[in-house]
Amino acid sequence: MEAAAVEIEHLSKRYGRFEALREVALSVPRGSVFGLLGPNGAGKSTLVKSLLTIVRPTECRGTLLGERIGHRRTLAKVGYLPEHARFPEYLTGRQIVGFTAGLAKVPAKQAKRRAEELLETVGMKDWADRKNGTYSKGMRQRVGLAQALVNDPEIVFLDEPTDGVDPGGRIEIRKIIERMREEGRTVFVNSHLLGEVEQVADEVAIMAHGRIAESGTLESLTRRDNRYEIRTLGPVPAEVRAELEGDGLEVAGDRIASTAADAKGVQQLIDRLRSRGVVIREMKELRFTLEEVFLKAVQSVGKEESR
Amino acid sequence: MRQFVAVFVDALRLLRARALFWITLGISALAAVLYLSIGFDENGVTFLFGASGFESEFLREGSPLAEMFYLGIFSMIIVNLWLSWIAVILALITCAPVFPEFMAEGSAGVALSKPISRIKLFFYKYLSGLLFAFLQTGIFCAIVFLAIRLQVGTWNPSVFWAVPLVVLMFSYLWSVMVAVGVRTRSVMASVLASLLVWFGAWIAKTVEEYAWTAAEFGEVPAAQGSMRLTEAEQKGWRDRYSQVSLAYTLLPKTSDTVNLLQRLVTVQGQKKFAVSELLNLMATGAPVRDDEVEEALERHSVGFIIGSSLAFEAVMLAFAGWSFCRRDY
Ligand SMILES: Nc1ncnc2c1ncn2[C@@H]1O[C@H](COP(=O)(O)OP(=O)(O)OP(=O)(O)O)[C@@H](O)[C@H]1O
Ligand SMILES: [Mg+2]
Repeated sequence: MEAAAVEIEHLSKRYGRFEALREVALSVPRGSVFGLLGPNGAGKSTLVKSLLTIVRPTECRGTLLGERIGHRRTLAKVGYLPEHARFPEYLTGRQIVGFTAGLAKVPAKQAKRRAEELLETVGMKDWADRKNGTYSKGMRQRVGLAQALVNDPEIVFLDEPTDGVDPGGRIEIRKIIERMREEGRTVFVNSHLLGEVEQVADEVAIMAHGRIAESGTLESLTRRDNRYEIRTLGPVPAEVRAELEGDGLEVAGDRIASTAADAKGVQQLIDRLRSRGVVIREMKELRFTLEEVFLKAVQSVGKEESR
Repeated sequence: MRQFVAVFVDALRLLRARALFWITLGISALAAVLYLSIGFDENGVTFLFGASGFESEFLREGSPLAEMFYLGIFSMIIVNLWLSWIAVILALITCAPVFPEFMAEGSAGVALSKPISRIKLFFYKYLSGLLFAFLQTGIFCAIVFLAIRLQVGTWNPSVFWAVPLVVLMFSYLWSVMVAVGVRTRSVMASVLASLLVWFGAWIAKTVEEYAWTAAEFGEVPAAQGSMRLTEAEQKGWRDRYSQVSLAYTLLPKTSDTVNLLQRLVTVQGQKKFAVSELLNLMATGAPVRDDEVEEALERHSVGFIIGSSLAFEAVMLAFAGWSFCRRDY
C-alpha cells in the first residue's frame, strides 16, 4: 500500500505558554479531498503552516508525501494557498503565478505553459495582465488558486479557499477541487464552512482548541450511532407505547427511535408493531448532520478544556 | 539559479512599481547632468553649460588643474553630498519596505513553503536591496564618466570606484534596516533605526576626530581658529583616545568609506589625487599640497575602515538572518 499523503504521528506547537496544537495525530490518504474543520482559532492554519515549514513546530513526528515533515525538496511537490493570501500589489496575475513557479523550480518554459492553462481554468485569462492591486477579493483568490497548482503538486493545501468569493465563484472552486481529485492530487482544505466541505470532502477532521476532536470519512462520522426511526400512521397507541418505553425505546407521537447494528436488527421491532396492527408509514436510518457532529465535537473538547 | 532569478526579478518589479524609485533615479541623473554642465573655456570655468562662470588663470580649457578641479568637484561635492547623503537616504527609504512587506501576514507563506531554504531566501532578498543602490550609483557614474570625457577630454574609469564604495556604505545601513525590519516588520522603525545608526556613526567620527587632533597635535578646534592644549592635557587625550574612539571603532564608517574615493580617484592615470591641493587652490588660488592634512586624512587604513564596518554589518546580518530563520510566520 502506498503511504498516506500526510501522516502526522505527533505534532505540538506552543506560542509561549499558549498551546496552539496539542499532540495532533492525523492521516490523510492519497488522492482524497480532506477537510479540516474547526471554529476560529482552533489551530487549522497553524497545523497546515507547520507541515509547510512556515511555522516551526515545537514537537513534530510524521511524514509528508513519504518524507519527514520539514524536508525541503519534498516541498517542490506541494501547492499552497495561504489564508488571506496577499500577493504583491505590483505584480500581475501572470507574474504571481510565475513567481511561485520560479521558487518551486519549475523550468521556465513549462511554467509559462502551465500558467496559461491555469489562469484559463480559474477564469482569470482576460485579467492575467492587470495588476493584482486592481483585482477584487475573489479574483485574487482565483489567482492564488492558480499559483498553488503551477508546480503540478501531488498535494495542495488550501486554507479557506472560498474566503471572499461569491456563490458562483464558490461553485467553480468546488469544481476545481473535484478536478484536482480526478487528476489524482490530494487536496487538503481548511474551512469553517461545513456546507462547503460536506460537498467535496471524502474525509474530514474536526479540530477545536488545538486538538483533533473527531476524524474519519463523512459517512462514518454522520451515521456512527446506528439509529433508526420508524414512523407510524397516527400516534403510537398508548398501550404499545408504554410497552416499548418499558423496553427502553424512545417514543414521541408517531415516531419510534431505536438503535441497531444494521437494518436487519430493526425488522423484529417492525414485526412486533405489525402484529399489534400498527400501520408503518416510514422507516429510515437516522444520520447526524455534519453540523451536529461538529457542534458536539467542539463542545466535548470545550468541556474537557474547562475542567 | 532559477530561484535566485525569481526573487531578483520580483525585487526589480517591486522597485519599478515605486514612484520613489523613479524619482530617485531621475534626481540622480539630474545631478549628474548638472555636473556635466560645468565646463571650461579659454577664460575660466563655466556653469550650467556656459550660462554663468568665473575667470581664472589656473582653471581654463586645457590647463592641467582643470581636470583636478573637475574631479575634485566630483569626489568632494558630488560624492560627499549627493551620493553619500541624499542618494543613500532616498535608497534607504525606497528599499525599506522590502522585508516588512515580504514578511506580512499572508505573503511570506507562499515563498517559505517552497523548496528554498530560509537563509537563502533571506540573502536573495538582502542582495536585491543592494541591487538598487548599485543601479542608482552605476547610472550616475556612467554619466559622470562621459561628462569628464566631454569637459576635460580624458577617459577616467577610476570614477567607477564610487559604485562599490557607495554600495558598500549603503550596505552597512541596509543591514541595520534589514535587522530591524525583520524584528519589527515595521517600515517606519527600520528607517528610523538606520538613520539613528548613521547619525551615531557621524557623531562617533566627530568625537574621534576631535580626540585624535587633541592627542596628536595638542590642539582642539575652538570658536576662533584652534586652542592649544598643555602637555598634560594632550597626554590625557592620548591615554583616553582608545576609549573615546571606541564607538567609532565599533560603528560602521559611513563617511570614511565613501571618502576612500579620494584615495582611489586618479588624475591623468597616475598622480594621486590630493584633497589639500584642491582646498588650497580654492582658498588661495595656488595648489599647494599640505602633507599634514593628507596624512591626517589617511590615518586609518583601508583595511581598518572597511574591515571594521563589515564586521558590524556581519553582526547585524547574522542577527537578522537568525531572526528571519527562527521566527514563525
Ligand atoms: N504567531 C502567533 N503567536 C501567538 N499565537 C498565535 C500565533 N499564531 C496563531 N496563534 C494562536 O494560535 C491559535 C490558532 O490559530 P490558527 O490561525 O491556527 O487558527 P485557525 O483555526 O486557522 O482559525 P481561523 O478559522 O480563524 O483561521 C489562535 O488562538 C491564535 O491566537
Ligand atoms: Mg486559519
